[in-house]
Amino acid sequence: MENVVTHEDWKVCFSELAPGLVLFARQFVRTSADAEDIVQDAFVRFWRKEHSIENRGLLYATVRSVALDLLRRDTRRARREANAALEVEQTTAPQFDFDDSSQRELAAAVDRLPVEQREVLVMKIWNELTFAEIGEALAISQNTAASRYRYALAALKKNFVAHE
Amino acid sequence: MNDFSQLEAELKKLRPRAASPELTARIERALTEAPSTVAEVSGRTATAGVLPKRRNFRVNWFGLGLGLAAAAVFLLLARVNIDQPAKRQSVVAMTPAPFSPPIPVSDAFVPAGMTEVVYNTRDEGLHFPEGGDQPVRRMRSRKRETLKWNNPQTGTSLRVSYPSEEVTLIPVEGQ
Repeated sequence: MENVVTHEDWKVCFSELAPGLVLFARQFVRTSADAEDIVQDAFVRFWRKEHSIENRGLLYATVRSVALDLLRRDTRRARREANAALEVEQTTAPQFDFDDSSQRELAAAVDRLPVEQREVLVMKIWNELTFAEIGEALAISQNTAASRYRYALAALKKNFVAHE
Repeated sequence: MNDFSQLEAELKKLRPRAASPELTARIERALTEAPSTVAEVSGRTATAGVLPKRRNFRVNWFGLGLGLAAAAVFLLLARVNIDQPAKRQSVVAMTPAPFSPPIPVSDAFVPAGMTEVVYNTRDEGLHFPEGGDQPVRRMRSRKRETLKWNNPQTGTSLRVSYPSEEVTLIPVEGQ
């Protein structure tokens, strides 16, 4: 599938993908503004290279790479700094809109997950990627992606219940 | 997974915050303009281990310095090895060997003498040589001659011995 760059095309595609992409990028940075910068850079690159928009694994891999490159550029210690930034993410702006306090607690429990589990959870729940696509995006096997997802749910259930 | 179905449903109820309207406008601007971001201008490409990575030539000063240091150490060690004796000897082997002065090669041999031993003499009778007016007696002698040279500096000697045969013609006086 070729990406014919017209305004209607990319706007339709982006409007569907934008919230999930920003949420995914948000896992690597503390603010929504930084996350949007990452998504902009990644989406423009992806679109200009005329990759198939159905190749979501590659699209999320691009977002992740741009995020890690940004961190590496700033700190020269991308992974360590990304983890460190994610560890203190509880103090940053929320990633979700809440209807009640229960949802706020659940979102807080999501924030407390390890980054490896959280990025799988975000791609699976709010972006509806398959485990194969998640594996492609993270350069891991499909089984590893599924395992991380199960670990995330188990930890979330345990933490969420504990905080209730 | 059934254990988590309720939890998954709760998670899906969480709505990610919408992207800001400015984001769409920024992307629209970026798509219509030439590459402008720092990353694009510099040719940087996101990889994440999935995308092919562009290779940018950069001088790795640390690696270069490390290589030069290694080369310097190598040259230093090589120099030390050159300066040291080629073969290390054990303590026992380093005990001085019995002194044996080198024999100087010299050709300063001087003749020391010559001996001549006659083993046999035979009278072969009278002969009349051509063009002669007088008969001669021919005597044949078999001998061994020995020549000797000495080297006064070293005390060495050299002997050469060879057989020889001599014929002597003795004129016969007529009476």
